[in-house]
Amino acid sequence: MTPPPLTDLPVGYRPPEGAFDELYDGAAVRGHWTRVARTLDELGSMELTARANEAKRLLADDGVTYNITSDGSTDTRSWVLDPVPVVMAADEWAGLEVGLAQRAELLDLVLDDLYGARRLVAEGHLPPEVVFGSPGFMRQADHVRLPGSHQLFHAAFDLARDADGRWVVISDRTQAPSGMGYALENRVVVSRVLPDLYRESEVVRLAPFFRELRAALQRVAPTSAEDPRIVVLTPGPWSETSYEHGAIATYLGYPLVQGSDLRVRDGRVWVRTLGRLEPVHVILRRVDPQWCDPLELRPESTLGVPGLLEACRVGNVSVVNTFGSGVLESPALAAYLPALSELLLGQPLRLPSARTWWCGDPEARREVVSRLDQLVLKRVGDGVRTTVIGHGLSQAETAELRVRIEAEPFAWVGQDPVSLGSTPTLVDGVLEPRRSVVRGFVVAREKGYAVMPGGLTRVAGSAYDPVVSNQTGAWSKDTWVLAREPERLTGFWLQPDDTMESIEPETSMSQRAAENLFWLSRYAERAEDLVRQLRVASDRITEFAAGTNPAGNEAVAVLLAALTHTTGTYPGFVGDGTVGVVAAPEPEFRALLVDPDRVGSVAHSVRAMLSAAAQVRDQLSNDTWLVIGHLERDLALLDRNLPVAAVTGALGRVMAAMLALAGLSAESMVRDDGWQFMEAGRRLERAIQLCGLLRATITTRRDAATDSLVIESVLTAAESIVTYRRRYRSHAQIETMLDLLLLDGDNPRSLAYQVARLADAVDTMPLPEEHGLGEVEALLAELATVVTLADTNELARRPDPDEPWDGRPAPLDAFLANVLSLLGRLGVALDDAHFSRQLPQRVVVGAPLPAAFGPGGGGS
Amino acid sequence: MTYRVVHRTHYTYESEVSASYGEAHLMPRETQNQQPYQATLTVDPFPEHYRERRDFFGNRVAHFTVLENHRELTVTATSVVDIRDRREILPRVGDLAWEDARDELRRDAAPESLDARQFVLASPAVGPTAAAVDYVGRSFAPGRPIVDALGELCSRFHTEFEFSPGATTVSTPVDEVLARRAGVCQDFAHLSMSGLRGLGLAVRYVSGYLETDPPPGEEKLVGADVSHAWVSVFVPHVGWVDMDPTNGQFVNNRYVTVAWGRDYSDVPPLKGVIYTEGEGQRLEVTVDVTTIPDDDPVLAQVAS
Repeated sequence: MTPPPLTDLPVGYRPPEGAFDELYDGAAVRGHWTRVARTLDELGSMELTARANEAKRLLADDGVTYNITSDGSTDTRSWVLDPVPVVMAADEWAGLEVGLAQRAELLDLVLDDLYGARRLVAEGHLPPEVVFGSPGFMRQADHVRLPGSHQLFHAAFDLARDADGRWVVISDRTQAPSGMGYALENRVVVSRVLPDLYRESEVVRLAPFFRELRAALQRVAPTSAEDPRIVVLTPGPWSETSYEHGAIATYLGYPLVQGSDLRVRDGRVWVRTLGRLEPVHVILRRVDPQWCDPLELRPESTLGVPGLLEACRVGNVSVVNTFGSGVLESPALAAYLPALSELLLGQPLRLPSARTWWCGDPEARREVVSRLDQLVLKRVGDGVRTTVIGHGLSQAETAELRVRIEAEPFAWVGQDPVSLGSTPTLVDGVLEPRRSVVRGFVVAREKGYAVMPGGLTRVAGSAYDPVVSNQTGAWSKDTWVLAREPERLTGFWLQPDDTMESIEPETSMSQRAAENLFWLSRYAERAEDLVRQLRVASDRITEFAAGTNPAGNEAVAVLLAALTHTTGTYPGFVGDGTVGVVAAPEPEFRALLVDPDRVGSVAHSVRAMLSAAAQVRDQLSNDTWLVIGHLERDLALLDRNLPVAAVTGALGRVMAAMLALAGLSAESMVRDDGWQFMEAGRRLERAIQLCGLLRATITTRRDAATDSLVIESVLTAAESIVTYRRRYRSHAQIETMLDLLLLDGDNPRSLAYQVARLADAVDTMPLPEEHGLGEVEALLAELATVVTLADTNELARRPDPDEPWDGRPAPLDAFLANVLSLLGRLGVALDDAHFSRQLPQRVVVGAPLPAAFGPGGGGS
Repeated sequence: MTYRVVHRTHYTYESEVSASYGEAHLMPRETQNQQPYQATLTVDPFPEHYRERRDFFGNRVAHFTVLENHRELTVTATSVVDIRDRREILPRVGDLAWEDARDELRRDAAPESLDARQFVLASPAVGPTAAAVDYVGRSFAPGRPIVDALGELCSRFHTEFEFSPGATTVSTPVDEVLARRAGVCQDFAHLSMSGLRGLGLAVRYVSGYLETDPPPGEEKLVGADVSHAWVSVFVPHVGWVDMDPTNGQFVNNRYVTVAWGRDYSDVPPLKGVIYTEGEGQRLEVTVDVTTIPDDDPVLAQVAS
């Protein structure tokens, strides 16, 4: 039974006058909103705000972002989600669904024709300028065909309500439609912050749509591919919607690749995975078409792969959406869709565009020019930037616009403005009406199109903003389509979580991903080791702050110098002229922690780690991303003016995050190829840092008191002091310390342990195809031998500045230098073996300009 | 006339190249007045992938990929073509006024006219500029027959512009070419196209070769010929009129057409992407256009 209509306004909501409102029909709440409206009212302002904050936190934890790019710089913004959903009744949705599917079918037929027979042009149904003058029309894509029944693989349509509540399409997104990943994330978050309401409302789930998408990707593969391999092609972590590229790849279980991961060979596309090239049959393209093939398109692009178009032409790979699909986005085409629908489908267009006049048609131009003040003017191919709202232009502006249109009539359209309906949006704890646009998504089925139930709703960033655009700060919402009665009985829709269906990736990891995981882990270890060293030094500084203990002073000086040596941040605390720095170490100390421009600092390593992590977003678990997100936020709070007292706290937080990452790696990651590379990176780096620390501190003998302090500090920094005390119950001594830190295969901090784990990781990695492992294995064997044969009694013989020395290199220093050199070479060898370097891409200069004044040239 | 064309492009790279991807518009297409008998393209080192196709405009394109390490790359196109004089079209245009040609193009529903309309629009390298329209427009007095106007425009280019290799680059804007009154054939083609499009005419860019005579008394040198570029203007119900602004004349039977497009960027003879450390590359091009006498046995062989 339907509850009686509400008469009270939830949380003081006032619908606007004269425009369609989703929630209110006149004074009454619309029937399908009843449950949601009642809940909003019950929760009240405080609780709703708390839920909104919870949503914000969940989005931040998942690393959901949107990049705003302007003037070549990228600004990463958090994705803003209003937890109050937009509710759609089953019946209304059913009508919209039919309209969206019909529009997709129509556009599919148009696309098919424009890159095939072009009868629509030849028979006069579409003016040639509308097609050939559209920047989305790509001559290079002529006659590139997808197998199967559709040329339009998927699409998105921005829908708005006019003043009467009728749905109108305000733009068609066909080039590389974005937003479905965000729609999915919105659903996941809203179902978590409003769990009861979500469950009781019986919202139609999104997962089946993504199943359709997956099936469609399989179906569109070249017929020759028996077991089609599918990848998602992204421009990289700095593109506008990069979050979504990773999210879709992860959700569908396909690898996320960049152009540099791909190669064209033998007219086929291959992905460079670890150790080999694997064929690729379908590419879900999120790189703009002009950037996809530097051979035939923009030559300066490194986001694509040369030969891709040719591979498509030959039919060895299917790229979706097709390169030329952008032609359908032209607003000029919208003017012809009603007639094309009658012609091609024999049906009226169910879901119209805003009424559109193409100025290339003289009659339409006269209409537009005479009504400039009532229309919205768009220049074909320019996007929203040159959209001009005729209303309110001055006479001079109107005259100028008229001149521009007359000079270039083919490039302009006039459109009836759409008022945009409003929907309740939580603003500062109060529900306000905000103008909204819904992006609907469709994907090709064997026959017809599947439509995502709901979509991505966006609302204007401010109360009176007439435009809804992410670039100008729009918010987003989940869109709930309520299930019909019969469907409720099945119970199928009650499964709460749309994320349950993630599928394991089926293709091996790309070289780029493995390389980034390797470095992610090396930088994490480097940062962790430095934090430990900084903490020990910081404790000793505090301990001997009075300056009255000579051994303490000496030990502090050794530890400070070691910081400079292990990080390579010379001069730092080392050498002449640094006495002042050692006496007042705080600024240098702080720089080693927080200065990201100082190569070797904690901040620098963490930045480098985050940058590697961004490249492999799809490989990292949500928990890993959560830790990284916190770390990023903590780091952003640190600055160079941090008071010294706060440094210790900051060190603690960074340390905790590093430990969490290491713990996740040890406990929560599948031992797949990626893990082996992370393991190798961590072990290699830890060995290097350990040897570097030992070499910078204990190769020289000092007086007994200083030596003991230094050895203890080193044991602490190497996270082995507790074990040492338990095992030896004595003052720190050099022989036993070296036993524990170099040779003890059971100490997870020892050199021997790192070498053994490195060898295990290397054994488990896939074998590289071209280079072979000869050098890596030789180096590992040599390391193992050097460690096994090490004699700590001999190594403990150190030169004492006050006693004669035979002049030969000190055994410990020589040993560590040798190990460090072997480790360094091993790093290079691993790199050479697994990550084949692509040489720089260059454009071949064209032939010199044609000339024609040869001797006697010209003639008659 | 029958010609044999050999166009050889030789690249020398500063450092080893691991992969070369190339696309060539080097094989003459067939046209109303031109019949290619034979056209072959060879790439050295031997390409791992090679395929010929037709592009959007019907031009012949070759794709090739070389994946062995190389320091030099040679692309040689050899073709034999038979050509009739393009000027035979002029009498059929008659004294049609240029505005009539323009207006009829907008009205005519014939597929040829509809197809030609894309060549009125701005293209990647050639949009109408006010200066170009003004310069070109001086030859287009109201009511003037289009053949007269085009002929005069050509002579003006020939006499008022200096042919000056090195004065411009591939990306020099047409207004700069106009201001300097200097450039090469591609510049003159683009500049005239800019003005003609601004007047509402459909005009396309043609790349090809011009057979050159040696100075009197000297033997013709192999490789002395060059690639060339000119323009072609559409007249509804008649066809495309080819004219050569660089040499101030309508195109005759000494011009070999290779390809056409909206501008140079649609039909560069050769373009490519390579992977190599060094930035340096040296390029040598030789073109040789020779007449094949009608009784030449080679001709009998290829024509059969």
